[in-house]
Amino acid sequence: MPKLIDFKMILTNIPQLLQYLPITLAIVALSMVVGLFLALIIALVRLKKIPGLTQLFTVLVSFIRGTPLLVQLYLSYYGIPIALRYWNYYNHTDYNINNIPAFFFVFIAFAINEAAYNSENIRGALLSVDHGEIEAAESLGMTNFQILRRITIPEALVVALPTLGNQFISLIKGTSLAFVAGVVEMTAEGQIIAGRNFRYFEVYLSLAIIYWVLTVITEVIVRIIEKRINRFRATQNVITAGSKRPSAAQTVAGVQSQPAVSEFRSDQKPV
Amino acid sequence: MISVENLSKTFSNHTIFKNLNLKIATGDILAIIGPSGSGKSTLLRCLNLLEFPETGKVVIGDQHYEAGHISRQEIVKIRQESTMVFQQFNLFRQKTAWQNVAESLVVVKHVNKQQAKQRALAELAKVGLSEYANFYPGQLSGGQKQRVAIARSLATDSKILLLDEPTSALDSELVGEVLATLRQVVADHPDYTVVLVSHELEFVKQVATKVVFFEDGQILETGTAEEVLEHPQHERTQQFLSRFTQQQLAHS
Repeated sequence: MPKLIDFKMILTNIPQLLQYLPITLAIVALSMVVGLFLALIIALVRLKKIPGLTQLFTVLVSFIRGTPLLVQLYLSYYGIPIALRYWNYYNHTDYNINNIPAFFFVFIAFAINEAAYNSENIRGALLSVDHGEIEAAESLGMTNFQILRRITIPEALVVALPTLGNQFISLIKGTSLAFVAGVVEMTAEGQIIAGRNFRYFEVYLSLAIIYWVLTVITEVIVRIIEKRINRFRATQNVITAGSKRPSAAQTVAGVQSQPAVSEFRSDQKPV
Repeated sequence: MISVENLSKTFSNHTIFKNLNLKIATGDILAIIGPSGSGKSTLLRCLNLLEFPETGKVVIGDQHYEAGHISRQEIVKIRQESTMVFQQFNLFRQKTAWQNVAESLVVVKHVNKQQAKQRALAELAKVGLSEYANFYPGQLSGGQKQRVAIARSLATDSKILLLDEPTSALDSELVGEVLATLRQVVADHPDYTVVLVSHELEFVKQVATKVVFFEDGQILETGTAEEVLEHPQHERTQQFLSRFTQQQLAHS
């Protein structure tokens, strides 16, 4: 009986496929960074209800969320050259479409896709920030940008992080579609290998293992970050559980403050 | 000094106050008393532009503004002229007590982080919270949170202190520690101009140099604490104080 599954090949494929991991990671990192930046802008524009831009971004988000990523990749791949031709025609320039690497089309499609999905997440997280803290920052004389950077974004990040983590994982897996735009990343290399030896199952299983490990690593990293930025909540839990309490009550201006045991009110529930 | 001229504010067609005039001299401690919903807090929030009045002029310390003609830079400058203590403390929950106090020093005054921390620790010591410097707001009682908020305000070095019902959100047993802290602050800074919105009439009697009775967006009576609280002239002030005293008695 012929060998139905070549287990050894599953393992030997992995180093070959991993040679293209940097391409996958580059798509993920660039798309995520640019996508998050765009997402923040879209979220802020929609929150501030800036006329014109709000409507434009609402349609854009709806369009991106309502169409498959594969179609968006094709639109980027075929649309950008058309846009460049128009640019050349109206501005009398001579940019050559062949000088644009395939990676660029993929990056644009992924970044816009990320921006659309994350903007909703970020918008919700920004809305969840306690308005009292923003008012306190305003009353201290902080500018809007300082408030955004020092108060709003760090607070919103706590809320947004779990969803951002999931989105990041989707993006890693989504990069397997990049081959349609001509980028040779891990999946594309897998297809090339399988085209040579016809062991499609083994190659795709190797790919599945790599993507799975990448996802697990991402989950662990997200969990560590989550734990770190949530430390103000974690300590709250410890204290309300009664294992670590503030030290002795103190005298303030001649008045004895309440003993530590009564300093924890019912509104300080574990989060 | 603070001067308010013909100030008007509405919230979706509901007039909070109209053509309001008020003058507070430097070093005065003005207490605004009156029933809930009469516009006391809104007036306070118009002074530091957390609310924007529709008409009127305001002079606050070295800054002034005319409603409807304020640029973004002016808003920031006006806000830096005073400092506010809120009813709900409004501490930054992701920052520890000392970070809350140091925040404006680092961000607004560009003090280096180490110096800001030293200053924050000193301010926390003044309100008796040295040992709590590394605690997050979620780990503090309401009274302690409010004392951190007071330390945060003092660290700004603004000489105009706006206190918006600083004890209203506290359990009765925690009110004392905050009032004691405020009493100390007022005693330590005789040059500060303080505007206090409060229902703590006993405290008002002890610290205020001037009291106004405010109802339905109008100042009905002004005078010293003794004049307004002990010998009120206006019928509504008398009714308010009598009802308030009855409630206090019933409560005790």
